[in-house]
Amino acid sequence: MSRILIEARSLVKNFGSKTVLDQLNFTVHAGEPVALIGPNGAGKTTLFSILCGYLTPDSGQIQLFGQQPGTAALFGKVSALPQDAQLDPVFSLSRQLQLYGQLQGMNKATAQSEANRVLQLVDLNEYANAKATMLSHGMRKRVAIAQALLGQPELVLLDEPTAGLDPANALQIRQLIAKLSEQATFVISSHNIFELERLCGTVLYLEHGKLRQHSLTQQQQQQHAAATGYLNLLLEQADSARVKAALQQLAGVLRVEQPQKNEFAIYYDKSQAAALDITVLTLLRQQGWFYRSLSQGQTLEQQLFEVASG
Amino acid sequence: MASALFWRQSWLLARFELVRLFGTRRGWLMMAAFVVIWFVILRFPILKAAVKLQQPDTLLMLNQLFGMAGMQQVLTWPLPEYVVYWLISLVLFPLLALFCCADQTSSDCSRGTLRFLSLRASRSAIFFGRFLGQLMAQMLLMGGSLLATLLMGWWRQGHLSFAVIEATLIIALNLLLVMLPFVALMALASALAKSARLAVSLVIVAAGLILGLIHWVGIYLPVVLTSLDYLPGAQLPQLLATAGWSTLQLAWLPLLQTAVLLTLGWSVLRRKAL
Repeated sequence: MSRILIEARSLVKNFGSKTVLDQLNFTVHAGEPVALIGPNGAGKTTLFSILCGYLTPDSGQIQLFGQQPGTAALFGKVSALPQDAQLDPVFSLSRQLQLYGQLQGMNKATAQSEANRVLQLVDLNEYANAKATMLSHGMRKRVAIAQALLGQPELVLLDEPTAGLDPANALQIRQLIAKLSEQATFVISSHNIFELERLCGTVLYLEHGKLRQHSLTQQQQQQHAAATGYLNLLLEQADSARVKAALQQLAGVLRVEQPQKNEFAIYYDKSQAAALDITVLTLLRQQGWFYRSLSQGQTLEQQLFEVASG
Repeated sequence: MASALFWRQSWLLARFELVRLFGTRRGWLMMAAFVVIWFVILRFPILKAAVKLQQPDTLLMLNQLFGMAGMQQVLTWPLPEYVVYWLISLVLFPLLALFCCADQTSSDCSRGTLRFLSLRASRSAIFFGRFLGQLMAQMLLMGGSLLATLLMGWWRQGHLSFAVIEATLIIALNLLLVMLPFVALMALASALAKSARLAVSLVIVAAGLILGLIHWVGIYLPVVLTSLDYLPGAQLPQLLATAGWSTLQLAWLPLLQTAVLLTLGWSVLRRKAL
């Protein structure tokens, strides 16, 4: 088992009479990115703020690398993209990132080259001498991500990293996280489940202050081992009734559900139809139906919210 | 190790505050305003008064006038320009500190910039670094005005005595001591408030309330009135009445006030939710 980066025990945080985090227990190991999911007001940002040392818990314990959040031993080791935090509007991006690098222990020249490197990573090197006020909302978000990548952090906490970004930049950030996740462990809070599903191996699902830890890798293994298989089919245009009827006729299919328009969830007996995906693709070709995607196993959204209802 | 890191980070943050004053457009504008104000002060009240103070009749009259207020010592500064500079700067620099040092941490906290900083530097380093930076900025501004006064006196007299150099050092030390508790007070107010404007308002309202409360309680319990002697700036009337090295006899009070205010501000920032 890889080493423990975050360990929370009986963590409680109240705001007035409202309990935002209620006896949270979880452990994050070094490795694959971890997703933090939950509805609005679930306490994700509060948990992030405690992890970063911005807030102190009312009771319980939390440690990062065996240290209390905010302690000097974590400087440069833990970095974060805090929600809605902005750079100082008086100084240029480069000047501020250089200061951050120097505070992390770099000398001036190294800090300057690090500032240039991280700005390049988020495609903002042209704006090195610009001030934060000259940037759009999306650009400011990218600069804030850039500051989290300064130096060689081992744990990067990102609160809504792609919120407010256009699709092209959101994709760029996802690719960046995927690339850098070999060097650091990312904990990502987001409402975009599809994004998290692609990036993360573990999900921390926070709701009403309670936490459910969920391993996607384990889930996939369980699904592979299960007797009942699951296919998710998304078509471009379809006569739903015809498609549903045709799918139900296939050997081994137990039932077909339609969670959304043009989307079909196919439950099947693996012992009878080990290669049902091939059979489905053949059917689509024969009928001239164009598909957008065909995937095995339930999506994270379906696993968490059980939306796959007939 | 932790101590070395604290000093290194505090120094980096302090120097960054100097860049804010000397390396940004906003800082240049502030300096330009400062230069204009001091040009007017030097050109008119200080230069004119210095010339008048050379006249025996005026000196005699002022001796009698200041003597009635117990302030005749003020006329013993070796450079006539310093008499007026001393009277003006003792009031002006605390006021300047009040307004210019109001944004030590407040805006950064509201904007979230402190969240970026606190991932890399301790809150103690941020608090004391900002305080030190603001103090250095004020000292440099004060040093500039003092040097300009000295040069003007030198130009007018045509020579410079050792007593004048010594007086320059004494005035600089005194002004540092006078400004210290005010910069510390603004560090505390800035840690409490959400913006520089609110920090200034907080100090003004709090000062009014505290003074009112002390005077009201003092009606029933006169011993409480002695607490007025321990508030920031309480030593100023006594300082106005002294000159030379004897001015430093009151140094303990601003130093004590600074220590108390910094401890309070540090404690607020350490516990504050960012």
